[in-house]
Amino acid sequence: MITQDALREIVNRVPELDAKRGTFTGPTWEDAAAIFDAVLAAGREGVVGVVAMLHDTDDGQDYKARYVLHGLAQYLGRPGKEAARAVFVEALASQLGGERPKAVQGFVVRQLQVIGGKEAAPALGKLLGDPDVHEFAAQALVAIRSGAAEELRKALPGLKGGPRLTALQALGALADRDSAAELRAAAADADLDARLAALWALARIGDAESVDRVLKGADAAPGWERIRATSAALLLAERLIADGKKAEAFRVYRHLKDTRTDAAEAYVRDAAADALARAGG
Amino acid sequence: MATRASKFGRRKFLKGAAASAGLFTIVPPHVLGGPRHVPPSEMLGGALIGCGGRGPGTYKEMTKDLQVELRAQCDVKFRDKADNKMFYTDFRRVLERKDIDLVAIGTPPHWHALISIAAAEAGKDVLCEKPMTRFIAEGRAVVETFRRYKRIFQIGTFGRFGVSKQRNNIDTHKIMRSGLVKDNPGVYVKSGGLKVKEWSGRIDLAPQTPPASLDWDLYVGPSPWKPYVTRRHGGTHRGYWDYEGGGLADMAQHTLDPFQWIYGKDDTSPVEIEAFAPPAHPEVTGMWAWIEMKYADGFTLVLESGEWGTPYERKKARPVTLAGLDEETRAKVQALPDPEPLVTFAEAVKTRKQPGGNAEAAHRCATLLHLANIAIRTGRKIKYDPVKEEIVGDEFANRLVNVPMRAPWHL
Repeated sequence: MITQDALREIVNRVPELDAKRGTFTGPTWEDAAAIFDAVLAAGREGVVGVVAMLHDTDDGQDYKARYVLHGLAQYLGRPGKEAARAVFVEALASQLGGERPKAVQGFVVRQLQVIGGKEAAPALGKLLGDPDVHEFAAQALVAIRSGAAEELRKALPGLKGGPRLTALQALGALADRDSAAELRAAAADADLDARLAALWALARIGDAESVDRVLKGADAAPGWERIRATSAALLLAERLIADGKKAEAFRVYRHLKDTRTDAAEAYVRDAAADALARAGG
Repeated sequence: MATRASKFGRRKFLKGAAASAGLFTIVPPHVLGGPRHVPPSEMLGGALIGCGGRGPGTYKEMTKDLQVELRAQCDVKFRDKADNKMFYTDFRRVLERKDIDLVAIGTPPHWHALISIAAAEAGKDVLCEKPMTRFIAEGRAVVETFRRYKRIFQIGTFGRFGVSKQRNNIDTHKIMRSGLVKDNPGVYVKSGGLKVKEWSGRIDLAPQTPPASLDWDLYVGPSPWKPYVTRRHGGTHRGYWDYEGGGLADMAQHTLDPFQWIYGKDDTSPVEIEAFAPPAHPEVTGMWAWIEMKYADGFTLVLESGEWGTPYERKKARPVTLAGLDEETRAKVQALPDPEPLVTFAEAVKTRKQPGGNAEAAHRCATLLHLANIAIRTGRKIKYDPVKEEIVGDEFANRLVNVPMRAPWHL
């Protein structure tokens, strides 16, 4: 079992800052790999011990520990490092949801965004309602993809406000068809950002059942909602055509072509008309 | 934010703009009429989003050879002066205006793609400061949006306009585009001038309270949330991965924009990228020695910082010229027509033809910066598919191609 002092000696091999400029230059990859391997040689305890060196505020004083953890995340992306990667990811995931300061957990989540896999998804999913780290958790899940949608779907019913918006958007980024029903409901949300996130997500999914909902959003009064929902409508039509659902796509294009009669929206009318013609409608 | 001294400084710009706005409020030009005044039907409404640093210079470039009236200025640091008439903090309110036709974007790069896309969705044409994007997928989204809405996008570097008029560069362009040279031995090396040390970020600063005039949440926007630190804002943002990509992302565009045109790479990207650099810091950009990028046709592009490590010694620079071709190939190339002159932003706005620094060209140029930085950040040689725009066989490196955004911001 490695002691924290021994671990600190390893981490302290990271070069000092440029004291005058406050900038940092790492060692060569060869020297860095020696540091990373020394941490990995201590197994899970080594990784957890470096996490314990992080301060609850990124005030620049714990840069060596941050550098080692991030360097490990990149190092373990190399082919042949699968076994060490599994240990590293499990060790990082074990530090989430407990007593660690939220800023530390946030940093750990960001390293999982670099190197985590499906095995980290459940630990990240538990943070989706956390007011301090839900954004990092959702971003990491979207980056990891595998296992992400399940966690987001599971968390969504219990989320409100910012965490809910973040989850809706993450489901859209993942184009998760299994969330279509929840997204359709959110498309009528009282919150503008939630509505727009849901419309965008339904467009990315290419949800044929959402044509009326998306067009309703696109017919909002002039302003940001109308601009963004119209964009979602055009995206939905493209996805529908790609899926062979031309009739539904044509309905979107024809609606925009027929309703954008104001000169200021002629560009939308033209975009819809051109797309319709290209698709043979 | 400025990369070079601007004759059109911000203070002078704002003062002039405010004075102009006042004048037009009293006597608009279309009321004045007469031969020396632009009729309202020809006057375009302009907006500047991101008013510090290069912003005023970018706006000036946008108005060249056009009749444009400045109608809105937007910056997240305008909280103390925003009136939602001329001065704004939120770009969405600017884009909602029907009387804005052209938008100059001078924000830090983490906002470039999103504001460009939203501007096109709102029917505006855009001139955007470089670099075009913060990561590769943003560029593809910009290209698709501007195609969908048939809007005009021009990147704010213009090096290609000059070099594309020079005979030797036209010949090289024709050789490269002809497809007649197999296993192209050409090598282009850019050494130095990339401000790598200058735009390395600082990591020794504790969080602070943002100034009251700054909307920090809107500044952070799509990037991961971080507490305010002075160096993350106001030009030194270049040293942070969250907003830009160091001197490489800031300066290399000046070289790579003309390179892309001369060597005919506006519709493709390298297939192998390798960097010699120390492992990167998670938050800040830092030093690197060189990046080697190989194209599918055999051509090699090298960026060398000259600021760290050992020099690049694998290959010597080797231009692609008519003299380097065999007689038969040379004759075939010379028989090809010269490329059409590049269309300026003003011409593009008037004719709706695509300008020289259009979205696809700008995206492919920015892709070079991003691939180089991905190789630096991962410490691995990467293979890239320029058609799918994905890193091949490295799912972890691929996560830097399309980076999840903070809600409500998305591509």
